[in-house]
Amino acid sequence: MADIQLGLMTRGQFPQGDDMQLRFEEMFEQIRIADKLGFSCITKGMHYSSWPLQDIQMVPYLSRVMAETKKMRLNMGIVLLALHKPLDYAELAATMDVLSGGRIIFGAALGYRDVELKAFGVQKKEIVRRFTENIEAIKRLWTEDKVTMKGSFFELDEASCSIKPLQKPRPPIWIGANADPAIERAAQIGDCWYVNPHSRNETLYRQLEVYKRALDAADRPFPEEFPMRKEVFVAETREKAIELAKPAIGLKYKVYHSWGQDTVMPEGDNNLDLDWEELLDDRFVLGSPAEVCEQLLDLNKSLGVNHIIASVQGAGMPQSQVLEALHMLGEEVLPNLKNA
Amino acid sequence: MDMQFGVMLRGLFDWDDDMKVRFNELMEQARLIDKLGYDCITKGSHFSTYPHQEMTQIPFLCRIMSEAPNVRLNAGIVLLALHNPMEVADYFATMDLMSGGRMIFGCALGYREVEYKAFGVEKGTGVTRFEENLEAVRRLWTDEKVSMKGTTFELDEARISVPLQQDPHPPIWIGANADVAIRRAARLGDCWYLNPHQKVETLLRQMDLYREELEKYNKPFPKELPIRREVFCAPTHDEAVELAAPYIKGMYDAYKTWGQDKAMPAEDRDITQEYAELARDRFIVGDPDEVAEEYVRYNKELGVNHIIMSVQGVGMPQGQVLDTLSLVAEEVIPKVRAA
Repeated sequence: MADIQLGLMTRGQFPQGDDMQLRFEEMFEQIRIADKLGFSCITKGMHYSSWPLQDIQMVPYLSRVMAETKKMRLNMGIVLLALHKPLDYAELAATMDVLSGGRIIFGAALGYRDVELKAFGVQKKEIVRRFTENIEAIKRLWTEDKVTMKGSFFELDEASCSIKPLQKPRPPIWIGANADPAIERAAQIGDCWYVNPHSRNETLYRQLEVYKRALDAADRPFPEEFPMRKEVFVAETREKAIELAKPAIGLKYKVYHSWGQDTVMPEGDNNLDLDWEELLDDRFVLGSPAEVCEQLLDLNKSLGVNHIIASVQGAGMPQSQVLEALHMLGEEVLPNLKNA
Repeated sequence: MDMQFGVMLRGLFDWDDDMKVRFNELMEQARLIDKLGYDCITKGSHFSTYPHQEMTQIPFLCRIMSEAPNVRLNAGIVLLALHNPMEVADYFATMDLMSGGRMIFGCALGYREVEYKAFGVEKGTGVTRFEENLEAVRRLWTDEKVSMKGTTFELDEARISVPLQQDPHPPIWIGANADVAIRRAARLGDCWYLNPHQKVETLLRQMDLYREELEKYNKPFPKELPIRREVFCAPTHDEAVELAAPYIKGMYDAYKTWGQDKAMPAEDRDITQEYAELARDRFIVGDPDEVAEEYVRYNKELGVNHIIMSVQGVGMPQGQVLDTLSLVAEEVIPKVRAA
């Protein structure tokens, strides 16, 4: 019997024209409430050129909001690591770890959008090599005083990470993965697979076996912390939760589809341009507090995930609904996840 | 005299220092700076700083936003040739939003081999990258969507993710040591951010160059002209000299090993000269009257109207730093304003 942790993803994506200063203040309020209610972490994703949505950048955002919460961990979930340079992100995350008193989680994944790859001068065929080299370099920079390593796109020549992370030996590395080969990679080089929010549960059951086999092959144990991100829509009744989800899911998934997220998902589960009713079908956690609780316990039982990062604010969802959902999750769901 | 006063929180510490403790001290400094009415807090950027530890610029500036809600926040400077313009433009847009429009964007080339290598940038390509990146950042900040093909990036109808608070964008200060870099600052920047290492006589010569170049591009002399200087201020002259001596030496030994002097003009290149000679006209050392006089002189001779002072030499204890900050705010700044 162990606790299932419940984290909060503040997506920070809003429709064009929204007053972002106001939205930012609202995200602050969400964080302070989540902190009080006992949520485990604040998660922020990373995208560039997020049109037609507005977005706030992860590194500055998490660095700022760490002042609003003393307890919650700060999840960089996820860094599009193939786009970046390892010394840069080793130092950014290490500084954030020190500034937050050791609360950083380093989430990383490949990235897939053409506009991003082009903007960072990265060829699609290079991304896996860039990603794996970057992970190796970051691990070494965090744990060794001086690192010499020649990557395909960088060279560490007795380079040092200017500040070492506070967590020893280093912050946890969660690897986001949709496709089977990416899940195998997560088993080989990550501290855990950070299970993606878009796939159907039946797909995830199959992929869990892929992950376990890859762990066995690498002679690594199943991770103690096994996180998953989910869209969570909670309301007094299932009907109300569906109403809540409709506009948010509709817009968000149209956007993902236009960004090409589904092109990196496994065959048979890769059309995100579906009607939203069909999307609902076991891609989301949705319902009354009791139903949501049951679904979260099911995920724990069937997949073994014990840290669920909930996105509750669909694009365009008003603040009052978000706060209501947070209170329901914190007051009616979270207590039942202790000693689950 | 119309003058702004900023403080550089260098954040550079010995390798075995406890950075959690040092960070809490920097937060205390930030709160005091804000309370005392200084105009800005500045943080520099270096990677691979061994044998020193340093906090990374962007997380640091974001974290202190809550401690210092009134001051401007100067990223002084970003090593722009190393980074990607999409990332930089987006990060600063978010920072401008979170700070309520208080960001200053300082940028320069960078010069250390270990940094260039680590970012996969060939030394000969630094200037091209810098210029392309700056153009891309500026366009991302001001155009709705941007298509532009650089040497190492391609913006394909790319956009920043959140609009800027400042109109049209945060001021772009360009740090420059060498003559050619000062010409570039005149051509590309909102102003030249005068560097802390050169003697005043060198800066005077370079200021002529800067003005000439501005005229060439038909640009007015900037309304805001900032300089960074190492400042050691104590109640008496002798105490100030005593305060300064060990830090100046230690700091410049570190710069020397990093190769900073190679980026400076030939006449001003050897920065590990004898301390006494080194100090003259490079640093501001003295009692409050002397420091105030120097600030006024900098304004009159060079035209600078924003002085960013570094007051914490590597290893200087917190109490000393807080004393200096209070002394300057209470006894130097009013004199300069009254001059």
